[in-house]
Amino acid sequence: MLSYPDVYEIGISNPALQILYTYLNDATPAAAERAYCPWPDMAAEMRASGVPLWTLETMSPVAGCDLWGFTLPHELAFTNVLEMLDLAGVPLHAAERGEADPIVLGGGPAVADPWPVAAFFDAFFVGEVEERLDAIVAALAAPTRGQRLEALEGIPGMWVPGLSTRPAERQVFMGFSTAPPVTRPVVPVLEAVHDRAVVEVMRGCCAGCRFCQAGMWYRPVRERSVDLVVETARKLLDETGCDEVSLLSLSSCDYSGIEAALTRIRGLRPGTRVSLPSLRIDGAASSLARFAAEQRGSVTLAPEAGTQRLRDAINKGVDEEQFEEAVRATFSGGFTGLKLYFMIGLPDETDDDVAGIARMVETALGLAKEIGRGRVRLSISVSSYIPKPHTPYELEPFAGAESLRRRQQLLRTALPRHVRVAFHDVDASLVEASLARGGRGSDRLVEEAWRRGARFDGWSEHFDLGAWQGAAAALDVELGEPVFLAEGRPDWEAVVDARLAPAFLEDELARSRRGELTADCRDAACSACGVCADGVTMEILA
Amino acid sequence: MTWWLLTFSRGGPARYLSHLDTTRALQRAFARAGIPLALSQGMRPKPCIALPLPLPVGAAGRHELAVVEVVADGPGPATALAQLRAAAPAGLEPLAVMPVGERHPRPQPRLAEYSCVIDGEAGTLVAAVERYASEDHVIRERVSPKGRRTLDLKEYVVGASAQATAGGAKLSFAIRHSATGAARPQDYVDLIAEWAGVEPVMCSLDRVHVTWEDLPRAEVSRAEGVDPRDNVQEGDDR
Repeated sequence: MLSYPDVYEIGISNPALQILYTYLNDATPAAAERAYCPWPDMAAEMRASGVPLWTLETMSPVAGCDLWGFTLPHELAFTNVLEMLDLAGVPLHAAERGEADPIVLGGGPAVADPWPVAAFFDAFFVGEVEERLDAIVAALAAPTRGQRLEALEGIPGMWVPGLSTRPAERQVFMGFSTAPPVTRPVVPVLEAVHDRAVVEVMRGCCAGCRFCQAGMWYRPVRERSVDLVVETARKLLDETGCDEVSLLSLSSCDYSGIEAALTRIRGLRPGTRVSLPSLRIDGAASSLARFAAEQRGSVTLAPEAGTQRLRDAINKGVDEEQFEEAVRATFSGGFTGLKLYFMIGLPDETDDDVAGIARMVETALGLAKEIGRGRVRLSISVSSYIPKPHTPYELEPFAGAESLRRRQQLLRTALPRHVRVAFHDVDASLVEASLARGGRGSDRLVEEAWRRGARFDGWSEHFDLGAWQGAAAALDVELGEPVFLAEGRPDWEAVVDARLAPAFLEDELARSRRGELTADCRDAACSACGVCADGVTMEILA
Repeated sequence: MTWWLLTFSRGGPARYLSHLDTTRALQRAFARAGIPLALSQGMRPKPCIALPLPLPVGAAGRHELAVVEVVADGPGPATALAQLRAAAPAGLEPLAVMPVGERHPRPQPRLAEYSCVIDGEAGTLVAAVERYASEDHVIRERVSPKGRRTLDLKEYVVGASAQATAGGAKLSFAIRHSATGAARPQDYVDLIAEWAGVEPVMCSLDRVHVTWEDLPRAEVSRAEGVDPRDNVQEGDDR
């Protein structure tokens, strides 16, 4: 059983689940089915009628499967795991499960710190699972639950609470570049949040943005050839009937073959659109912004911070000139819509850094006027920075609700009125900040909040701050602070080895404070992050 | 460019699709079948496909109509129908394809016939339907995000009858479509439920037939087993 702890429309867009589903069904003796989290009104009807959570494929009770794998995307999805376990009739705590219950396995980016959900999972897989799926399926053949867990514990990358005595080493799929991508995904018949064919062009990112957990977590960079990318796109268009292809990676403008891939995919079929994710602003962004504008797509640029000082500190080495060039390319390409991504609450941020965001917006508006695009649609998205494990800022303080609200207001006042601005909900950020660096025992906060009604915490219409405040009060912890995090070395280090050298993280933090940039190791010397060893190495197109 | 009328049925899990999702699912079936649809002109070209009479969410349709514009060098109707049937998702079944002239006006619905089973005491439900037949006017108010609309159901809902079943009654009725608009099938079902004193629950609504205006006469490629006498593309005056 494969699950994404959110509604179908969100979960069906998750590419990881499509990879697992395809591989398990096509290449192993296992039969994989899916279940997603029912919306609260549906869950209420299911409970009232005594209908347990069922699988989409055969409408079988989920509780009857051998293994129930969850991909955990972020902290605000944790309560939905409990909701799904409860709806399925599976005991919430791994310790209470018996022979008839499935083994509940967690994976995905949020297992970077598994403590906030440790009690609810029998095992966690850390990293990219493709090469271990055969072993996981084989482990399920053991006759007893205890033996199955022991067999799972022997698989590299697996952490089994109560059994494992050492941290699980993050697994890197070194066959990524040449392995056949998914070309026959499940195609939803109702509109999904990302309703298009997806080609993963590259895994990992070495840009070294110091705030970015994914950039640290998915190292090193591995690229697929342009031929493989284009052929995959062709097959996907034929098999899915989609008319839009998304080139997926952490930073697609850094993919060596991006322009060739874009041009060739657009030529595959009349009317084919290629969507680009947000663009890091550098040399390539200008031409890509122009490309997106030509096909009437949206252009999103991600400067992340408002001043050069702060951009240097977070290793987002974009200067004003590059930003202006990318904005010019967008507007001169004929498109009048531009979205900019920023963060507030970054370490060492000042009010002037926040005011700098408004200055950049004014610069963009001025350029639009200069180019003759007076009626531009400019929107900005401002998220709250949450320090995450396995990054140089992993032990930096969270900005806090008061500071974030004040800076949101500062920005609101400074921005021109006609600019649309979307802020991340500060209350939800408090919960995220508590759980992102949760220590041993932080799972009690998640369970207590769920028992008080918290679910779908990532949805503003369902987020219930009162449930979380009540849970925090009951456990005598403060929302916004890492929950039950031990003094000294953080708890996640005892269970997860992200392959990053501690000296690298310390050095990066020191460089951040000095405002020094660290170059992308694709273009310059190795940054000694520690990931490339024991057969793990970058794979870049020539 | 040429345009075709596609007859298809919607049932099973697909009855819960929205109008836009049904349109998109058919559009993707055409793409998977290798039948290129013409693209609209404008800023963001879209495939030319339209379903002139949307089905309500939860309703099945036995002979629904899609109007599509295909490029001239694609496969012919018979081949296209076979390919479409292989490419369509579960619950959406292409039944027939009729190529029509470029200048022919688009078909407009005139009368849509429905049936549905509603739970409750059969006698009360039948009595509610008989009461409807005896009324000269039945004024109902519909509140939607667009505002309030008052309509006389008797102007639109005709041919209503009821047949007792094991746990309730099977309602049959037709909705007349005119220049002033039309009622929704749920308007009538809610009315009967209200008069019969039963909870208006989601019922098994089934659109069994649609009579079209301006339906051209042309050669039809039908899937095997599709009864030509019950094919909306033949057009009749029922």
